[in-house]
Amino acid sequence: MMKSKTLMTKKQNKKIIVGIFDFTDCEGCQVKLISLRDKFLKLEENLEIIAWRLGQEKFESGPYDIAIVEGTPIMPDEVELLKAIRGNSKILIALGSCAALGGIPAILSQKEREYWYQKIYGPNYKPRGIEAQPLSFYVPVDIVINGCPVDENEVLNVLENILAGKKPYPYDYPVCYDCKKANNDCRILKGLPCLGPITKNGCGAICISGGSPCYGCFGLRDGANVEALIKILEKIADKKTIALYLSMFHKKDIHYDNQ
Amino acid sequence: MITNEFIAKIEGHGNLKIDWKKNKVVLEVAEGERLFEGLLVGRKAEDAYWVTPRICGVCPIAHNLASLAALEKAAQIKLERPIQLLRDLMQCAQMIQSHSLHLFFLSLPDYLGIDRGTELRKKNPKAFQYALELKELADNMASISAGRNVHPTTPTIGGFNKLPTKTELKKLLQQLEKTKEAAEWLPKFCQSLDYPELSVDLELVAIRNQKIYSSKNDVVDVDDYKSAIEEEIREFSTAKFSKFLGREVMVGALARLYFENKKYPLDFKNPFHNNLAQAIEVSLYHQKAMEIIKELLEVDLKNFDKKPEIKWMKEAKGIGAVEAPRGGLYHEIHVDENGIITYINIITPTVQNLTSIEKTAQALIEKYAHKPQKEKERLLNMLVRAYDPCITCSVH
Repeated sequence: MMKSKTLMTKKQNKKIIVGIFDFTDCEGCQVKLISLRDKFLKLEENLEIIAWRLGQEKFESGPYDIAIVEGTPIMPDEVELLKAIRGNSKILIALGSCAALGGIPAILSQKEREYWYQKIYGPNYKPRGIEAQPLSFYVPVDIVINGCPVDENEVLNVLENILAGKKPYPYDYPVCYDCKKANNDCRILKGLPCLGPITKNGCGAICISGGSPCYGCFGLRDGANVEALIKILEKIADKKTIALYLSMFHKKDIHYDNQ
Repeated sequence: MITNEFIAKIEGHGNLKIDWKKNKVVLEVAEGERLFEGLLVGRKAEDAYWVTPRICGVCPIAHNLASLAALEKAAQIKLERPIQLLRDLMQCAQMIQSHSLHLFFLSLPDYLGIDRGTELRKKNPKAFQYALELKELADNMASISAGRNVHPTTPTIGGFNKLPTKTELKKLLQQLEKTKEAAEWLPKFCQSLDYPELSVDLELVAIRNQKIYSSKNDVVDVDDYKSAIEEEIREFSTAKFSKFLGREVMVGALARLYFENKKYPLDFKNPFHNNLAQAIEVSLYHQKAMEIIKELLEVDLKNFDKKPEIKWMKEAKGIGAVEAPRGGLYHEIHVDENGIITYINIITPTVQNLTSIEKTAQALIEKYAHKPQKEKERLLNMLVRAYDPCITCSVH
């Protein structure tokens, strides 16, 4: 992570050089970026996007002031590309849960992948994919924007801070904070499992507000008391259910024995 | 060296490999396998419609609807009329959202002499204003009907965890009225563009009333989707390539409108006209959304707040077949008596289009054989984009 408080100083009349990249993923976080609409246009006035496969033909190989990377490297070439991008960028931003945590594809271990390759593609298929990992498994990441998908306001907040030469302040309350603000009934008090208490906020508790569970896509907050939450969850749900909750986004950072 | 080896401005990572000496085209797909059909097995049925939208951030609602339809069939649940209307509203949002993103951001720049979609702001401010209006409308419609603009949160088996309020629906109706001009302008604008000439013996396929129709007069029940749409595994592709009854077919907007039997200014032999078909569909789904909301405003949605109790039978099975923006999407889900997923099979529209892209790309390089290689490459990229392939979906 970065040491200094200022990231870089924006020189007058000089645009910030940006590359936007996507590895294996659903591209929904880039869709969120585009969903900023007029706010994105405002940002764009200060940026010179020299590489963005989804958005343009123009593709320059850097150097980049900011590289925004969405997705998780699953094809071996993607790992090499990630290392090259890191080597050619001042600031590397991991955009969304796949980049930040490995995301949904990280549910499967390499061993499980081998089994499913056979089942889905048949015995003659020559798989090349590797187990999904967060970007930080391969290279240092400067800024993480969490979420599956990301919240567009957080994307805006991070980029505006960088443009102003400030280090973006990460959210670090639990989702419970957002959930109270959204006026939701507590899922745990209703006897429903929830990973909100150990998860970073910033999502506005949008899933819980919509009646969906919280699987913790914004990642663990610093100092999250995972053990205490597990004790509470074990009072309201069986171990198998808890394991399913924890495996959605936390295969890499929480080890839970469901036996 | 950081390079891009893939076709720009399409969803996901794919490329056309052309042997110019033999004039032969092969489509290569190099998207990582995420193995959704594996990672969902052993999870609860409710996870299906929460996880499958994550196959594709451009058409997440379509995956949500397909998983829900499969599970509702498996649980033998029939939807009440207002619930079905809300599901249809989700589909309208999905179509307008995906088509306008594809047109303004990915494919129309080819016709307007710009690269990035946002350059339209200077080139054609009026068009750009309409683009923003339609995108905002679609995002709002998705948020109100499904809880969020990307990856739904509110729909559940047999109903919704949270229904939109009357105020939200009224506001949405007002926004629809305000954006009517934009929705009606788009097809006229797309009609005025110069599409490359190409005449192919295109076979078009679309789902209507739970049957799969082909323009070559075959009709297949959706329950037989798996035998009709045969998937082939290729050595250098992480996506499967499918054929319909052994033939290359095109699915998506152009195919859907073919079966409408109305007088559209479309050439059903020219795949480039899929762009125009998408523009026409934006106005059709815009109109449909208005009709749906008007009907919904007549009912008290509070009476439909109750979700049905689900009892999973032994070996419950269901096939959810929906028209996604890019064409027919099939989710087959099997669930055991504890509500745990034991099997899931997904066939996406792009898997069905891949063989057709290769066939028409071949036709294109033959028709334009006299043109310089650079020009042929440009036309080929435009052709691929006209299909609006979602490589991300095709690999899942």
